Amino acid sequence: MLVSALLVALIATCSTWWFSHVVTRTWLYPLWVGFLVALAMGQPIAGMKAAAYIQLAYLGWITAGGTMPGNLMVAGVFGTALTLLSHADPSLAVTFAVPFSLLGILTWQAYMTLNSIWIHQGDKFLDQNNIRGLRLMNYVPSFFTSLVLNGIPAFLLVYYGGGWAQQALKAIPQPLITAFQVVGAMMPALGIAMLLNYMGQKKVIPFFFLGFFLTEYLKLDTMSITIFAAIVGIALYFFQNGQNSSGTSGRSGKVKDSTAPAAGQTASEKE
Amino acid sequence: MAEKKLRHSDLVKNWLLGYSSETCYNYERLQAMGRANAMIPIVRRLYDTKEKQAQELKKYMVFFNTEPSFIGTVIHGIDASMEEQRANGEDITAEDINAVRTGLMGPMAGIGDTVSQGIIYPILAGIACSLALAGNIAGPILFEVVYKVLMLTLGYTFYMMGYRQGKSAILSFLKAGTLNRITEIFSIVGLMVVGNMAASRVTIICPLAFTIGKVSLNIQTVLDSLMKGLLPLAITLGVWKMVDKKIKPTYIIIIMFAVGIVASLLGILGVPKTA
Repeated sequence: MLVSALLVALIATCSTWWFSHVVTRTWLYPLWVGFLVALAMGQPIAGMKAAAYIQLAYLGWITAGGTMPGNLMVAGVFGTALTLLSHADPSLAVTFAVPFSLLGILTWQAYMTLNSIWIHQGDKFLDQNNIRGLRLMNYVPSFFTSLVLNGIPAFLLVYYGGGWAQQALKAIPQPLITAFQVVGAMMPALGIAMLLNYMGQKKVIPFFFLGFFLTEYLKLDTMSITIFAAIVGIALYFFQNGQNSSGTSGRSGKVKDSTAPAAGQTASEKE
Repeated sequence: MAEKKLRHSDLVKNWLLGYSSETCYNYERLQAMGRANAMIPIVRRLYDTKEKQAQELKKYMVFFNTEPSFIGTVIHGIDASMEEQRANGEDITAEDINAVRTGLMGPMAGIGDTVSQGIIYPILAGIACSLALAGNIAGPILFEVVYKVLMLTLGYTFYMMGYRQGKSAILSFLKAGTLNRITEIFSIVGLMVVGNMAASRVTIICPLAFTIGKVSLNIQTVLDSLMKGLLPLAITLGVWKMVDKKIKPTYIIIIMFAVGIVASLLGILGVPKTA
Protein backbone atom coordinates (compact mmCIF):
# COMPACT_ATOMS: atom_id res chain seq x y z
CA MET A 1 0.00 0.00 0.00
CA LEU A 2 2.89 2.35 0.76
CA VAL A 3 4.22 2.03 -2.78
CA SER A 4 0.77 2.59 -4.26
CA ALA A 5 0.24 5.61 -2.05
CA LEU A 6 3.61 7.10 -3.01
CA LEU A 7 2.95 6.54 -6.71
CA VAL A 8 -0.52 8.06 -6.52
CA ALA A 9 0.97 11.04 -4.67
CA LEU A 10 3.50 11.50 -7.47
CA ILE A 11 0.78 11.20 -10.13
CA ALA A 12 -1.37 13.73 -8.25
CA THR A 13 1.58 16.13 -7.98
CA CYS A 14 2.47 15.92 -11.67
CA SER A 15 -1.14 16.18 -12.78
CA THR A 16 -0.94 19.84 -11.72
CA TRP A 17 2.82 20.47 -11.90
CA TRP A 18 3.19 20.22 -15.68
CA PHE A 19 6.95 19.79 -15.94
CA SER A 20 6.61 19.17 -19.66
CA HIS A 21 3.47 18.87 -21.72
CA VAL A 22 5.28 16.25 -23.79
CA VAL A 23 4.47 14.04 -20.81
CA THR A 24 1.89 15.78 -18.68
CA ARG A 25 -0.48 17.37 -21.21
CA THR A 26 -2.78 14.34 -21.02
CA TRP A 27 -2.48 14.10 -17.23
CA LEU A 28 -5.11 16.79 -17.02
CA TYR A 29 -7.69 14.40 -18.34
CA PRO A 30 -9.42 11.96 -15.98
CA LEU A 31 -9.34 9.10 -18.48
CA TRP A 32 -5.54 9.00 -18.63
CA VAL A 33 -4.59 10.22 -15.17
CA GLY A 34 -7.25 7.96 -13.63
CA PHE A 35 -5.84 5.05 -15.60
CA LEU A 36 -2.38 5.82 -14.22
CA VAL A 37 -3.84 5.85 -10.70
CA ALA A 38 -5.54 2.54 -11.46
CA LEU A 39 -2.21 1.05 -12.55
CA ALA A 40 -0.49 2.38 -9.42
CA MET A 41 -3.17 0.80 -7.27
CA GLY A 42 -3.03 -2.50 -9.10
CA GLN A 43 -6.60 -2.47 -10.35
CA PRO A 44 -6.26 -1.41 -14.00
CA ILE A 45 -9.65 -2.56 -15.32
CA ALA A 46 -11.92 -1.32 -12.52
CA GLY A 47 -9.93 1.90 -12.30
CA MET A 48 -10.03 2.44 -16.03
CA LYS A 49 -13.82 2.13 -16.01
CA ALA A 50 -14.08 4.53 -13.08
CA ALA A 51 -11.79 6.97 -14.90
CA ALA A 52 -13.91 6.72 -18.04
CA TYR A 53 -17.11 7.43 -16.10
CA ILE A 54 -15.44 10.51 -14.61
CA GLN A 55 -14.07 11.57 -17.98
CA LEU A 56 -17.52 11.67 -19.56
CA ALA A 57 -18.61 14.47 -17.25
CA TYR A 58 -15.68 16.59 -18.44
CA LEU A 59 -15.86 16.15 -22.22
CA GLY A 60 -16.48 19.80 -23.01
CA TRP A 61 -14.43 21.48 -20.30
CA ILE A 62 -12.16 24.12 -21.68
CA THR A 63 -9.41 25.52 -19.50
CA ALA A 64 -8.11 28.78 -20.88
CA GLY A 65 -6.02 31.55 -19.40
CA GLY A 66 -5.46 29.63 -16.21
CA THR A 67 -9.12 29.55 -15.26
CA MET A 68 -10.92 26.29 -14.66
CA PRO A 69 -14.61 25.60 -14.20
CA GLY A 70 -13.67 22.67 -11.96
CA ASN A 71 -10.45 20.87 -11.16
CA LEU A 72 -10.24 18.06 -13.72
CA MET A 73 -7.02 16.65 -12.37
CA VAL A 74 -8.30 16.36 -8.83
CA ALA A 75 -11.52 14.78 -10.15
CA GLY A 76 -9.54 12.18 -12.09
CA VAL A 77 -7.00 11.31 -9.40
CA PHE A 78 -9.10 11.46 -6.24
CA GLY A 79 -12.30 10.18 -7.86
CA THR A 80 -10.59 7.09 -9.24
CA ALA A 81 -8.63 6.45 -6.05
CA LEU A 82 -11.67 6.75 -3.81
CA THR A 83 -13.74 4.46 -6.05
CA LEU A 84 -11.04 1.79 -5.95
CA LEU A 85 -10.46 2.17 -2.19
CA SER A 86 -14.14 1.80 -1.33
CA HIS A 87 -14.67 -1.04 -3.82
CA ALA A 88 -17.64 0.93 -5.15
CA ASP A 89 -19.19 0.26 -8.53
CA PRO A 90 -17.27 2.26 -11.20
CA SER A 91 -20.50 3.99 -12.25
CA LEU A 92 -20.42 5.80 -8.89
CA ALA A 93 -16.98 7.26 -9.62
CA VAL A 94 -18.24 10.46 -11.18
CA THR A 95 -20.51 11.17 -8.21
CA PHE A 96 -17.46 10.87 -5.92
CA ALA A 97 -15.23 12.85 -8.26
CA VAL A 98 -17.36 15.91 -8.82
CA PRO A 99 -17.38 17.21 -5.21
CA PHE A 100 -13.58 16.78 -5.18
CA SER A 101 -13.30 18.79 -8.36
CA LEU A 102 -15.23 21.66 -6.77
CA LEU A 103 -12.93 21.60 -3.75
CA GLY A 104 -10.08 21.39 -6.25
CA ILE A 105 -10.92 24.83 -7.62
CA LEU A 106 -9.51 26.18 -4.35
CA THR A 107 -6.29 24.17 -4.54
CA TRP A 108 -5.86 25.26 -8.16
CA GLN A 109 -6.28 28.91 -7.21
CA ALA A 110 -3.84 28.46 -4.36
CA TYR A 111 -1.34 26.84 -6.75
CA MET A 112 -1.63 29.64 -9.31
CA THR A 113 -1.32 32.28 -6.61
CA LEU A 114 1.63 30.78 -4.75
CA ASN A 115 3.56 30.29 -7.98
CA SER A 116 3.62 34.06 -8.43
CA ILE A 117 6.23 34.12 -5.66
CA TRP A 118 8.72 32.08 -7.66
CA ILE A 119 8.63 34.28 -10.72
CA HIS A 120 9.89 37.21 -8.62
CA GLN A 121 12.79 35.07 -7.53
CA GLY A 122 13.34 34.34 -11.24
CA ASP A 123 13.51 38.09 -11.90
CA LYS A 124 16.18 38.43 -9.21
CA PHE A 125 18.28 35.63 -10.66
CA LEU A 126 18.18 37.28 -14.09
CA ASP A 127 19.33 40.55 -12.54
CA GLN A 128 22.32 38.62 -11.19
CA ASN A 129 22.90 37.07 -14.66
CA ASN A 130 22.15 33.69 -13.16
CA ILE A 131 20.46 31.79 -16.01
CA ARG A 132 20.68 28.45 -14.27
CA GLY A 133 18.86 29.99 -11.31
CA LEU A 134 16.05 31.08 -13.58
CA ARG A 135 15.71 27.56 -14.93
CA LEU A 136 15.67 26.21 -11.39
CA MET A 137 12.87 28.61 -10.47
CA ASN A 138 10.82 27.52 -13.45
CA TYR A 139 10.91 23.85 -12.52
CA VAL A 140 11.56 23.22 -8.86
CA PRO A 141 9.47 25.35 -6.46
CA SER A 142 6.16 24.71 -8.24
CA PHE A 143 6.78 20.98 -7.78
CA PHE A 144 6.71 21.46 -4.03
CA THR A 145 3.67 23.72 -4.24
CA SER A 146 1.81 20.97 -6.05
CA LEU A 147 3.23 18.29 -3.74
CA VAL A 148 1.75 20.04 -0.73
CA LEU A 149 -1.57 20.89 -2.37
CA ASN A 150 -2.18 17.67 -4.31
CA GLY A 151 0.44 15.02 -3.60
CA ILE A 152 0.24 14.84 0.18
CA PRO A 153 -3.59 14.77 0.31
CA ALA A 154 -3.54 11.98 -2.31
CA PHE A 155 -0.99 10.04 -0.26
CA LEU A 156 -3.08 10.38 2.89
CA LEU A 157 -6.22 9.26 1.06
CA VAL A 158 -4.66 6.14 -0.40
CA TYR A 159 -2.53 5.21 2.62
CA TYR A 160 -5.05 5.78 5.39
CA GLY A 161 -8.36 6.05 3.56
CA GLY A 162 -9.03 2.43 2.57
CA GLY A 163 -10.85 1.12 5.63
CA TRP A 164 -12.62 4.40 6.19
CA ALA A 165 -13.84 4.58 2.57
CA GLN A 166 -15.23 1.05 2.66
CA GLN A 167 -17.09 1.69 5.90
CA ALA A 168 -18.43 4.98 4.63
CA LEU A 169 -19.73 3.29 1.51
CA LYS A 170 -21.38 0.55 3.59
CA ALA A 171 -23.03 3.18 5.75
CA ILE A 172 -24.79 4.79 2.78
CA PRO A 173 -28.31 3.34 2.49
CA GLN A 174 -29.18 1.57 -0.75
CA PRO A 175 -31.75 4.13 -2.00
CA LEU A 176 -29.08 6.82 -1.75
CA ILE A 177 -26.59 4.65 -3.65
CA THR A 178 -29.18 4.33 -6.41
CA ALA A 179 -29.69 8.09 -6.29
CA PHE A 180 -25.91 8.56 -6.68
CA GLN A 181 -26.03 6.29 -9.71
CA VAL A 182 -28.76 8.47 -11.18
CA VAL A 183 -26.63 11.56 -10.58
CA GLY A 184 -23.67 9.74 -12.14
CA ALA A 185 -25.74 8.88 -15.20
CA MET A 186 -26.82 12.51 -15.55
CA MET A 187 -23.29 13.94 -15.26
CA PRO A 188 -22.14 13.24 -18.84
CA ALA A 189 -24.90 15.67 -19.87
CA LEU A 190 -22.84 18.47 -18.32
CA GLY A 191 -19.70 17.67 -20.28
CA ILE A 192 -21.74 17.30 -23.45
CA ALA A 193 -23.67 20.51 -22.83
CA MET A 194 -20.46 22.49 -22.31
CA LEU A 195 -19.08 21.13 -25.56
CA LEU A 196 -22.30 21.94 -27.41
CA ASN A 197 -22.11 25.44 -26.05
CA TYR A 198 -18.50 25.74 -27.20
CA MET A 199 -18.80 24.21 -30.67
CA GLY A 200 -22.39 25.14 -31.21
CA GLN A 201 -22.43 27.23 -34.35
CA LYS A 202 -26.03 26.94 -35.39
CA LYS A 203 -25.44 25.34 -38.74
CA VAL A 204 -23.55 22.31 -37.41
CA ILE A 205 -25.87 21.60 -34.46
CA PRO A 206 -28.14 19.23 -36.46
CA PHE A 207 -25.21 16.81 -36.57
CA PHE A 208 -25.49 16.41 -32.81
CA PHE A 209 -29.07 15.19 -33.26
CA LEU A 210 -27.99 12.97 -36.14
CA GLY A 211 -25.43 11.28 -33.90
CA PHE A 212 -27.94 11.01 -31.09
CA PHE A 213 -30.73 9.34 -33.05
CA LEU A 214 -28.43 7.12 -35.09
CA THR A 215 -27.40 5.71 -31.72
CA GLU A 216 -30.90 5.52 -30.25
CA TYR A 217 -32.61 3.92 -33.22
CA LEU A 218 -29.88 2.12 -35.15
CA LYS A 219 -27.77 1.23 -32.08
CA LEU A 220 -24.53 2.34 -33.77
CA ASP A 221 -21.44 2.40 -31.55
CA THR A 222 -18.99 5.29 -31.16
CA MET A 223 -16.50 4.00 -33.72
CA SER A 224 -19.05 3.56 -36.50
CA ILE A 225 -20.53 7.00 -35.75
CA THR A 226 -17.03 8.49 -36.04
CA ILE A 227 -16.46 6.83 -39.40
CA PHE A 228 -19.80 7.99 -40.83
CA ALA A 229 -19.24 11.47 -39.42
CA ALA A 230 -15.80 11.66 -41.05
CA ILE A 231 -17.30 10.65 -44.40
CA VAL A 232 -20.02 13.29 -44.13
CA GLY A 233 -17.47 15.92 -43.08
CA ILE A 234 -15.03 15.15 -45.88
CA ALA A 235 -17.81 15.08 -48.49
CA LEU A 236 -19.04 18.48 -47.32
CA TYR A 237 -15.48 19.83 -47.46
CA PHE A 238 -15.07 18.85 -51.08
CA PHE A 239 -18.51 20.12 -52.04
CA GLN A 240 -17.64 23.46 -50.46
CA ASN A 241 -14.32 23.47 -52.25
CA GLY A 242 -16.13 23.02 -55.53
CA GLN A 243 -18.16 26.13 -54.93
CA ASN A 244 -15.23 28.00 -53.53
CA SER A 245 -14.91 30.51 -56.35
CA SER A 246 -18.36 31.89 -55.59
CA GLY A 247 -18.40 31.24 -51.88
CA THR A 248 -15.29 32.78 -50.42
CA SER A 249 -16.83 36.08 -49.44
CA GLY A 250 -18.22 36.27 -45.96
CA ARG A 251 -15.74 33.76 -44.62
CA SER A 252 -13.35 36.24 -43.11
CA GLY A 253 -15.33 36.76 -39.93
CA LYS A 254 -15.60 33.13 -39.06
CA VAL A 255 -12.42 32.53 -37.18
CA LYS A 256 -13.85 34.81 -34.57
CA ASP A 257 -17.15 32.94 -34.42
CA SER A 258 -15.71 29.56 -33.78
CA THR A 259 -13.04 30.66 -31.37
CA ALA A 260 -14.76 33.42 -29.50
CA PRO A 261 -15.47 31.63 -26.20
CA ALA A 262 -11.91 30.57 -25.56
CA ALA A 263 -10.32 33.64 -26.99
CA GLY A 264 -12.67 35.96 -25.20
CA GLN A 265 -10.38 36.70 -22.35
CA THR A 266 -7.10 36.88 -24.19
CA ALA A 267 -8.35 38.37 -27.44
CA SER A 268 -9.68 41.38 -25.64
CA GLU A 269 -6.15 42.37 -24.80
CA LYS A 270 -5.37 42.64 -28.46
CA GLU A 271 -8.34 44.68 -29.46
CA MET B 1 31.33 40.01 -38.10
CA ALA B 2 30.21 36.52 -38.98
CA GLU B 3 26.49 35.98 -39.27
CA LYS B 4 25.01 34.36 -36.18
CA LYS B 5 22.95 31.36 -37.12
CA LEU B 6 20.76 29.16 -34.96
CA ARG B 7 21.37 25.49 -35.42
CA HIS B 8 18.58 23.02 -36.00
CA SER B 9 19.30 21.49 -32.60
CA ASP B 10 18.76 24.90 -30.95
CA LEU B 11 15.37 25.16 -32.59
CA VAL B 12 14.38 21.66 -31.51
CA LYS B 13 15.44 22.44 -27.94
CA ASN B 14 13.51 25.70 -28.01
CA TRP B 15 10.42 23.93 -29.36
CA LEU B 16 10.60 21.13 -26.78
CA LEU B 17 11.27 23.50 -23.87
CA GLY B 18 8.15 25.35 -24.98
CA TYR B 19 6.22 22.42 -23.54
CA SER B 20 7.41 23.57 -20.11
CA SER B 21 5.67 26.92 -20.58
CA GLU B 22 3.19 26.08 -17.84
CA THR B 23 5.50 24.43 -15.32
CA CYS B 24 5.43 27.44 -13.03
CA TYR B 25 2.00 28.56 -14.20
CA ASN B 26 0.83 31.52 -12.11
CA TYR B 27 -1.80 34.21 -12.09
CA GLU B 28 0.64 37.08 -12.15
CA ARG B 29 2.36 36.51 -15.48
CA LEU B 30 1.09 33.06 -16.55
CA GLN B 31 3.63 31.56 -18.98
CA ALA B 32 6.30 34.27 -18.65
CA MET B 33 8.98 32.31 -16.82
CA GLY B 34 8.31 29.22 -18.93
CA ARG B 35 8.95 31.23 -22.07
CA ALA B 36 12.15 32.74 -20.66
CA ASN B 37 13.29 29.23 -19.77
CA ALA B 38 12.56 28.00 -23.31
CA MET B 39 14.59 30.82 -24.85
CA ILE B 40 17.78 29.90 -22.96
CA PRO B 41 19.26 27.73 -25.76
CA ILE B 42 18.53 30.49 -28.29
CA VAL B 43 20.26 33.31 -26.39
CA ARG B 44 23.15 31.03 -25.47
CA ARG B 45 23.81 30.43 -29.17
CA LEU B 46 23.37 34.05 -30.21
CA TYR B 47 25.22 35.90 -27.44
CA ASP B 48 28.57 35.17 -25.86
CA THR B 49 28.47 36.80 -22.46
CA LYS B 50 26.32 35.81 -19.53
CA GLU B 51 25.36 39.42 -18.97
CA LYS B 52 24.06 39.85 -22.50
CA GLN B 53 22.24 36.49 -22.42
CA ALA B 54 20.45 37.37 -19.18
CA GLN B 55 19.69 40.81 -20.53
CA GLU B 56 18.01 39.35 -23.63
CA LEU B 57 16.02 36.86 -21.57
CA LYS B 58 14.47 39.61 -19.48
CA LYS B 59 12.09 40.67 -22.21
CA TYR B 60 10.34 37.31 -21.92
CA MET B 61 9.54 37.83 -18.24
CA VAL B 62 6.37 39.72 -19.11
CA PHE B 63 2.76 38.59 -19.03
CA PHE B 64 2.32 35.99 -21.72
CA ASN B 65 -0.30 33.33 -22.32
CA THR B 66 -1.24 31.30 -25.35
CA GLU B 67 -2.02 27.72 -26.24
CA PRO B 68 1.53 26.36 -26.00
CA SER B 69 1.32 22.82 -27.37
CA PHE B 70 -0.51 22.49 -30.68
CA ILE B 71 -0.83 25.75 -32.61
CA GLY B 72 0.64 28.45 -30.36
CA THR B 73 4.13 27.03 -31.04
CA VAL B 74 4.01 29.21 -34.14
CA ILE B 75 4.71 32.16 -31.81
CA HIS B 76 7.63 30.31 -30.26
CA GLY B 77 9.06 29.88 -33.76
CA ILE B 78 8.56 33.56 -34.54
CA ASP B 79 10.35 34.45 -31.27
CA ALA B 80 13.38 32.44 -32.34
CA SER B 81 13.46 33.98 -35.78
CA MET B 82 13.18 37.54 -34.42
CA GLU B 83 15.93 36.89 -31.87
CA GLU B 84 18.19 35.65 -34.64
CA GLN B 85 17.56 38.75 -36.77
CA ARG B 86 18.08 41.01 -33.76
CA ALA B 87 21.39 39.37 -32.94
CA ASN B 88 22.49 39.99 -36.52
CA GLY B 89 22.04 43.70 -36.10
CA GLU B 90 18.62 44.21 -37.62
CA ASP B 91 16.66 47.06 -36.16
CA ILE B 92 14.35 45.03 -33.92
CA THR B 93 13.89 46.30 -30.37
CA ALA B 94 12.78 44.26 -27.38
CA GLU B 95 9.52 46.22 -27.51
CA ASP B 96 8.99 45.16 -31.13
CA ILE B 97 9.40 41.52 -30.20
CA ASN B 98 6.93 41.77 -27.36
CA ALA B 99 4.47 43.72 -29.49
CA VAL B 100 4.39 40.87 -31.99
CA ARG B 101 4.12 38.21 -29.29
CA THR B 102 1.36 39.84 -27.29
CA GLY B 103 -0.50 40.68 -30.47
CA LEU B 104 -0.51 37.08 -31.57
CA MET B 105 -1.05 35.32 -28.26
CA GLY B 106 -4.80 35.96 -28.07
CA PRO B 107 -5.78 34.78 -31.55
CA MET B 108 -3.45 31.78 -31.32
CA ALA B 109 -4.88 30.85 -27.93
CA GLY B 110 -8.35 30.98 -29.45
CA ILE B 111 -7.47 28.80 -32.42
CA GLY B 112 -5.22 26.48 -30.42
CA ASP B 113 -7.79 25.90 -27.70
CA THR B 114 -10.47 25.23 -30.28
CA VAL B 115 -8.31 22.68 -32.06
CA SER B 116 -6.91 20.97 -28.96
CA GLN B 117 -9.68 21.26 -26.37
CA GLY B 118 -12.71 21.75 -28.60
CA ILE B 119 -11.97 19.15 -31.27
CA ILE B 120 -9.14 16.70 -30.69
CA TYR B 121 -9.77 16.09 -27.01
CA PRO B 122 -13.54 15.43 -27.01
CA ILE B 123 -13.48 13.23 -30.12
CA LEU B 124 -10.56 11.15 -28.85
CA ALA B 125 -11.87 11.00 -25.30
CA GLY B 126 -15.34 10.05 -26.52
CA ILE B 127 -14.03 7.12 -28.52
CA ALA B 128 -11.56 6.09 -25.82
CA CYS B 129 -14.24 6.20 -23.10
CA SER B 130 -16.56 3.92 -24.99
CA LEU B 131 -13.70 1.45 -25.40
CA ALA B 132 -12.70 1.76 -21.74
CA LEU B 133 -16.25 1.28 -20.47
CA ALA B 134 -16.44 -1.93 -22.50
CA GLY B 135 -13.43 -3.09 -20.48
CA ASN B 136 -10.96 -2.61 -23.32
CA ILE B 137 -7.58 -1.40 -22.09
CA ALA B 138 -6.86 -0.02 -25.58
CA GLY B 139 -9.12 2.91 -24.66
CA PRO B 140 -6.80 5.00 -22.49
CA ILE B 141 -3.71 3.88 -24.42
CA LEU B 142 -5.23 4.96 -27.73
CA PHE B 143 -6.13 8.30 -26.17
CA GLU B 144 -2.60 8.90 -24.88
CA VAL B 145 -0.77 7.82 -28.02
CA VAL B 146 -2.94 9.54 -30.62
CA TYR B 147 -3.18 12.71 -28.55
CA LYS B 148 0.59 13.00 -28.17
CA VAL B 149 1.32 12.15 -31.80
CA LEU B 150 -1.08 14.86 -32.96
CA MET B 151 0.25 17.33 -30.39
CA LEU B 152 3.90 16.88 -31.30
CA THR B 153 3.31 16.75 -35.05
CA LEU B 154 1.19 19.91 -35.09
CA GLY B 155 3.41 21.61 -32.51
CA TYR B 156 6.58 20.97 -34.53
CA THR B 157 4.99 21.92 -37.84
CA PHE B 158 3.67 25.21 -36.52
CA TYR B 159 6.92 26.01 -34.69
CA MET B 160 8.93 25.56 -37.88
CA MET B 161 6.37 27.51 -39.88
CA GLY B 162 6.71 30.37 -37.43
CA TYR B 163 10.50 30.27 -37.55
CA ARG B 164 10.77 30.14 -41.34
CA GLN B 165 8.00 32.49 -42.37
CA GLY B 166 7.65 34.78 -39.37
CA LYS B 167 4.54 36.77 -38.80
CA SER B 168 3.38 36.42 -42.40
CA ALA B 169 2.86 32.69 -41.81
CA ILE B 170 -0.04 33.36 -39.48
CA LEU B 171 -1.62 35.99 -41.65
CA SER B 172 -1.64 33.90 -44.81
CA PHE B 173 -2.83 30.94 -42.82
CA LEU B 174 -5.77 32.86 -41.37
CA LYS B 175 -6.75 34.58 -44.59
CA ALA B 176 -7.00 31.41 -46.64
CA GLY B 177 -9.95 30.27 -44.57
CA THR B 178 -8.71 26.68 -44.77
CA LEU B 179 -8.53 26.44 -41.03
CA ASN B 180 -12.16 27.42 -40.72
CA ARG B 181 -13.35 24.75 -43.05
CA ILE B 182 -11.21 22.11 -41.40
CA THR B 183 -12.55 23.24 -38.03
CA GLU B 184 -16.07 22.85 -39.38
CA ILE B 185 -15.46 19.30 -40.54
CA PHE B 186 -14.09 18.35 -37.19
CA SER B 187 -16.99 20.08 -35.48
CA ILE B 188 -19.30 17.81 -37.45
CA VAL B 189 -17.37 14.72 -36.37
CA GLY B 190 -17.18 16.01 -32.80
CA LEU B 191 -20.87 16.77 -32.58
CA MET B 192 -21.87 13.38 -33.95
CA VAL B 193 -19.59 11.61 -31.48
CA VAL B 194 -21.01 13.76 -28.70
CA GLY B 195 -24.53 12.91 -29.86
CA ASN B 196 -23.59 9.26 -29.59
CA MET B 197 -22.25 9.88 -26.07
CA ALA B 198 -25.46 11.60 -25.01
CA ALA B 199 -27.51 8.69 -26.28
CA SER B 200 -25.35 5.91 -24.91
CA ARG B 201 -24.04 7.41 -21.66
CA VAL B 202 -26.78 9.57 -20.23
CA THR B 203 -28.58 6.39 -19.24
CA ILE B 204 -31.57 7.85 -17.46
CA ILE B 205 -34.96 6.13 -17.53
CA CYS B 206 -38.29 6.60 -15.78
CA PRO B 207 -39.02 3.54 -13.65
CA LEU B 208 -42.60 4.57 -12.82
CA ALA B 209 -45.23 1.93 -13.48
CA PHE B 210 -48.93 1.94 -12.75
CA THR B 211 -51.42 -0.85 -12.68
CA ILE B 212 -54.90 0.23 -13.60
CA GLY B 213 -57.26 -2.68 -13.21
CA LYS B 214 -55.61 -5.43 -15.20
CA VAL B 215 -53.58 -3.18 -17.44
CA SER B 216 -50.10 -2.30 -16.29
CA LEU B 217 -48.62 0.88 -17.63
CA ASN B 218 -44.87 1.30 -17.81
CA ILE B 219 -44.00 4.95 -18.34
CA GLN B 220 -40.67 4.25 -20.00
CA THR B 221 -42.38 2.10 -22.66
CA VAL B 222 -44.72 4.99 -23.39
CA LEU B 223 -41.80 7.42 -23.63
CA ASP B 224 -39.89 5.06 -25.92
CA SER B 225 -42.85 4.80 -28.26
CA LEU B 226 -43.01 8.59 -28.43
CA MET B 227 -39.31 9.12 -29.06
CA LYS B 228 -36.38 6.98 -28.09
CA GLY B 229 -33.98 8.68 -25.74
CA LEU B 230 -36.43 11.40 -24.78
CA LEU B 231 -35.17 11.70 -21.20
CA PRO B 232 -31.43 11.74 -21.98
CA LEU B 233 -32.05 14.30 -24.70
CA ALA B 234 -34.23 16.45 -22.46
CA ILE B 235 -31.62 16.39 -19.68
CA THR B 236 -28.77 17.23 -22.08
CA LEU B 237 -30.67 20.08 -23.68
CA GLY B 238 -31.78 21.33 -20.26
CA VAL B 239 -28.20 21.46 -19.01
CA TRP B 240 -27.12 23.09 -22.27
CA LYS B 241 -29.73 25.78 -21.68
CA MET B 242 -28.23 26.41 -18.22
CA VAL B 243 -24.69 26.57 -19.63
CA ASP B 244 -25.89 28.89 -22.35
CA LYS B 245 -27.40 31.18 -19.72
CA LYS B 246 -23.91 31.46 -18.20
CA ILE B 247 -24.92 29.79 -14.96
CA LYS B 248 -21.70 28.80 -13.15
CA PRO B 249 -20.72 25.14 -13.58
CA THR B 250 -20.58 24.82 -9.81
CA TYR B 251 -24.25 25.77 -9.50
CA ILE B 252 -25.22 23.53 -12.40
CA ILE B 253 -23.51 20.63 -10.64
CA ILE B 254 -25.35 21.39 -7.41
CA ILE B 255 -28.66 21.59 -9.29
CA MET B 256 -27.94 18.27 -11.01
CA PHE B 257 -27.11 16.59 -7.70
CA ALA B 258 -30.28 17.93 -6.09
CA VAL B 259 -32.56 17.03 -9.00
CA GLY B 260 -30.98 13.60 -9.45
CA ILE B 261 -31.17 12.63 -5.80
CA VAL B 262 -34.70 13.92 -5.22
CA ALA B 263 -36.08 12.46 -8.45
CA SER B 264 -34.43 9.12 -7.73
CA LEU B 265 -35.78 8.93 -4.16
CA LEU B 266 -39.25 9.81 -5.46
CA GLY B 267 -38.91 7.05 -8.05
CA ILE B 268 -39.30 9.38 -11.03
CA LEU B 269 -35.82 8.88 -12.48
CA GLY B 270 -33.68 5.78 -12.45
CA VAL B 271 -30.93 3.89 -14.24
CA PRO B 272 -31.47 0.70 -16.23
CA LYS B 273 -30.82 -2.42 -14.16
CA THR B 274 -28.10 -3.69 -16.47
CA ALA B 275 -26.02 -0.52 -16.32
